[in-house]
Amino acid sequence: MPSGGLLLQSVVLGLLLGGLYALLAAGLTLYFGIMRVVMIAHSAFLILAAYVAWWFNVRTGLDPLLSLAGTVPLFFVTGVAMQRLLLARLRPATLTMMSVLLTFAIALFIEGMLGYLFTGTQRRIQLAYSASSLDLFGARIAVVKLIAFGLAGAALLGLYLLLKHSRFGWALRATIQHRDAARLAGIDTDRVAGYGFGLGLATAAIGGTALALDATVYPSLHWHWIGPLMAIIVVGGLGSIPGAAIAAMVLGMAQSLLQIPLGTTWAQTVFYLALFATLALRPQGFFGGRLAQRF
Amino acid sequence: MHATARVKLGIAASAVAVALAVTGCTGDGGSEKPASDPIVIGISLPLTGDFAEPGKGVQRGYEAWAKIVNDQGGLLGRKIELKILDDQSNADRVVADYEQLIGRDKVDLVFGPFSTRLVVPAGRVAEEYGMLFVEPAGAAAQVFEQGFKNLFYAAPAVAGDHYNHLAKHILALPADRRPKTAAYAAMDDPFAQGTAYGLKAKLEAGGITTVVNEVYPPNTTDFGGIAAKIAASKADIVVGGSQYQDGVNLIVALQQLNYQPKLAAFSTAPTNPEFAKAIGNKTEGILAPTGYTNKAKYPSNLEFVEKYKAQFGTEPEEDEANAYTTGQVVAAAVKAVGCAEQGECQKKLVDWLRTNKVETVVGPLSWDAQGRPQGAHMIQQWAGGDIQIVLPEDVKEAGFIYPKPAW
Amino acid sequence: MRSVSKARVWLGLPVLLAGVGLVLSFPSLAPNPYLLSVGIVVLNYAVLSTAWNFMGGFTGYISLGHGALAGLGAYGTALLITKAGMPSFAALFAATAIVALLAIPLGFAALRVRGASFVIVSIALVLILLLVFQSWASLTGGSSGLVVPRPFPQLLRPEHHRVFYYLFAGLLALALLCWWLIDRSRFGLGLKAVREDEDKAESLGTPTFAYKLVIFTVSAAFTALGGGLYALWFGDLDPVFQFSILSGAYMVLMALLGGVRNLFGPVLGALIVGIGLEYFKVEYGNTPLHLVASGLLLAVVVMFMPDGVIPSVSNVFGRFFQPTRASIREVSAEQLREEARR
Repeated sequence: MPSGGLLLQSVVLGLLLGGLYALLAAGLTLYFGIMRVVMIAHSAFLILAAYVAWWFNVRTGLDPLLSLAGTVPLFFVTGVAMQRLLLARLRPATLTMMSVLLTFAIALFIEGMLGYLFTGTQRRIQLAYSASSLDLFGARIAVVKLIAFGLAGAALLGLYLLLKHSRFGWALRATIQHRDAARLAGIDTDRVAGYGFGLGLATAAIGGTALALDATVYPSLHWHWIGPLMAIIVVGGLGSIPGAAIAAMVLGMAQSLLQIPLGTTWAQTVFYLALFATLALRPQGFFGGRLAQRF
Repeated sequence: MHATARVKLGIAASAVAVALAVTGCTGDGGSEKPASDPIVIGISLPLTGDFAEPGKGVQRGYEAWAKIVNDQGGLLGRKIELKILDDQSNADRVVADYEQLIGRDKVDLVFGPFSTRLVVPAGRVAEEYGMLFVEPAGAAAQVFEQGFKNLFYAAPAVAGDHYNHLAKHILALPADRRPKTAAYAAMDDPFAQGTAYGLKAKLEAGGITTVVNEVYPPNTTDFGGIAAKIAASKADIVVGGSQYQDGVNLIVALQQLNYQPKLAAFSTAPTNPEFAKAIGNKTEGILAPTGYTNKAKYPSNLEFVEKYKAQFGTEPEEDEANAYTTGQVVAAAVKAVGCAEQGECQKKLVDWLRTNKVETVVGPLSWDAQGRPQGAHMIQQWAGGDIQIVLPEDVKEAGFIYPKPAW
Repeated sequence: MRSVSKARVWLGLPVLLAGVGLVLSFPSLAPNPYLLSVGIVVLNYAVLSTAWNFMGGFTGYISLGHGALAGLGAYGTALLITKAGMPSFAALFAATAIVALLAIPLGFAALRVRGASFVIVSIALVLILLLVFQSWASLTGGSSGLVVPRPFPQLLRPEHHRVFYYLFAGLLALALLCWWLIDRSRFGLGLKAVREDEDKAESLGTPTFAYKLVIFTVSAAFTALGGGLYALWFGDLDPVFQFSILSGAYMVLMALLGGVRNLFGPVLGALIVGIGLEYFKVEYGNTPLHLVASGLLLAVVVMFMPDGVIPSVSNVFGRFFQPTRASIREVSAEQLREEARR
């Protein structure tokens, strides 16, 4: 039986990890909602942002968080361009399948370019506060993990407020729910879809910077992330952002707790078991709506 | 529809022809070489991917060796030429690379790649082409269990024996000072695991209880969970079977949890020149086994260190030294036998090494029938921002600090 | 119609024979064993992408997870040899049978869902098998990998290559023959109906689910055969490379590039991609530029010629020979977009 201290520690670690998963899964959900696109390259952009943060830190010696000022707008524009110039030009009849391949190709391109520019060597940001931690009822919380969690939480909250309480958010939600009706209501759905895509990619920029604070990155790391993220969006119900966030927290916590009896590697299988169980029992996901049933 | 089917076949067939032409074009080489030609040595190294850091160290070692030999007029009067390919830390590539080097480029000799995972597939290619295969980095037990007859490991000891001196020292401590519990975390890699489990077997036999035993895949980057387990166990000592980055990450994760063991031993990582900076200089008391010290007094080592510094501006470390040793071992055989080319010659080189002792920068080396070297590793410890040899007694540069100060 | 069909045979047969002759004589023409090994790698790609094309070509379901099936075939073969002591080729066929059996429940789960979810499941399959084979070290050897005993231990490496070259060529011929037979059967027609409009096919009485399951099993079996034969040839298995999304993606890229609706499409794709990859690794060995090149190629294929090289090229020729020819699905991307915008 694991000690109470270890349990508490694992809960804390699970919570911190789940926050990052939630932010990233929210981005993936956004793309899917807007265009029925499974964006394989999402985690490749995540790693790209982490590399930018690392490179920024190495070059300038400044805090990697400052790189957000550059990556977030840049990723937003990239996202808009990707949607308008590439994905929107695919045949609608085969859009879902072909968009998977297209975003896969983008992921390969990013991985290859990162490897070409920075080699395959593992990189890690060295910060003054890398090894410092806070004490919480006997559990230790690493400062860097806490900052990453705070960043993810703030971004998620911002996304939520934007979608719920802005005119753009209203248009975006309308586009997700029923594109043709939204167009009839006078919404420029093409433009909204482009911005939505940019928004999704901006979450990858924030997530990547948060990741870079406390993790080692290397070009092929994105394969490591895309599996759990895809499992999360299916379990949460394709297209549902709150569903994805809840599934991310639950599965992140499960992974962290299962590490105690099973070890790190077996614990990761929880994502895929949840994915298969969801498809077998409830293909529309646990929090998804009407949308998920059709895909 | 009907017209197109014919075109289909035509395209397929012409594609085959194009393929033949393309591949045929690259198929040069293989011509007879006069004796004055350079000795071409084929090597595949992980210059990118999981093992890129040590891979580049090995590359520097090989280059230093080639330069030193060439500055002295070469081997058998022939200049040395290295042909180094990148295998991207990938077993498929390493096989294709040696295949290309031996089969297409007809190199005269081959040197081994880095890491056990790549040494075994590469060794099989060399074996099946009948090439001598001296390698700088395949220390794990399984390398020597493949039935290879042409393989020699150019370092003092196999992985399981790396911590022999440390195990002896710990078990010799008086009962009240001796640690009671130990935590182990090892990368799922034959070498890294081999070092940690070599020590584990000896300490368990000596009555030290194992409280944590974790294995993680090579691509692991999040060590929070493993560190939490180790910290919660409050083990007296922690042993990491690590390569480079995973060791750094595990140590940082342990420090984040404010875990303070009495002894911390990690393979490979602490001997890397980047190590102290990578963990924010909180290195106090960390131990590591090493097969090499650049302060060793062997004559060839004095020469190596001096010329290496002139060439690269830094002191050589273990990876560089092992690569250099590989060069020395092969050179000794080539000089003794008097040939360096594919064919009959390779068998003679193998037979000579099997029965002779070679003086190298890591001391005199000799091998058993499977290619295992017959020695043990020294133990180094970080103290006051510097890493020094503390075990065994007869070569130590500083006293062994136990229990280790807080990191 | 008849006469054209006959003409096709008369013109096509010599070309086909020439192609077969070239493939068979390659080992004698290859100047060194290295090129022969490249030939084997290309043939292996051709077998795998043809196997993939049973699923992808007929039904239009794009699986990124076929790398996992090849990996299962490889590990199955290796484990049956090392743990159960079976002879090499018996183990290969037994492993294939096991993978085909496994494919039934797998297909059952994966084929219940369409589109996006199917792709996600296929990727998840690769990732979970990677985890299992990495972690279950006592059985699979874990990250240290597994050594497959040589089926012909007495052969030197060049002869060993030669034997396996012909084995792979034979397997490719078998896979092509099967594809060709299915292509002209009723079963094949039903599968193509799934590709064009699954709901309509179902309402017209095609047992779409059963059809999909059968073809998935066939596809899995050929993939496993390819993977297992590769294991026997290559000799070292590492979970990271056996269960890689990349290898599955290469199968898709090759098939799409050549053309998924053509018998020889995947073979042509394998030739281009296989030789291209080898060329990139030899020329730019120090860099992962081959990933960049693969990514760009895949993007170009998806954006500009989703039907592959063969249809694109033969369209040009076809217009030249038969200017009035029209097919049922000659809808351009623009037209479809207009339709969707309507």
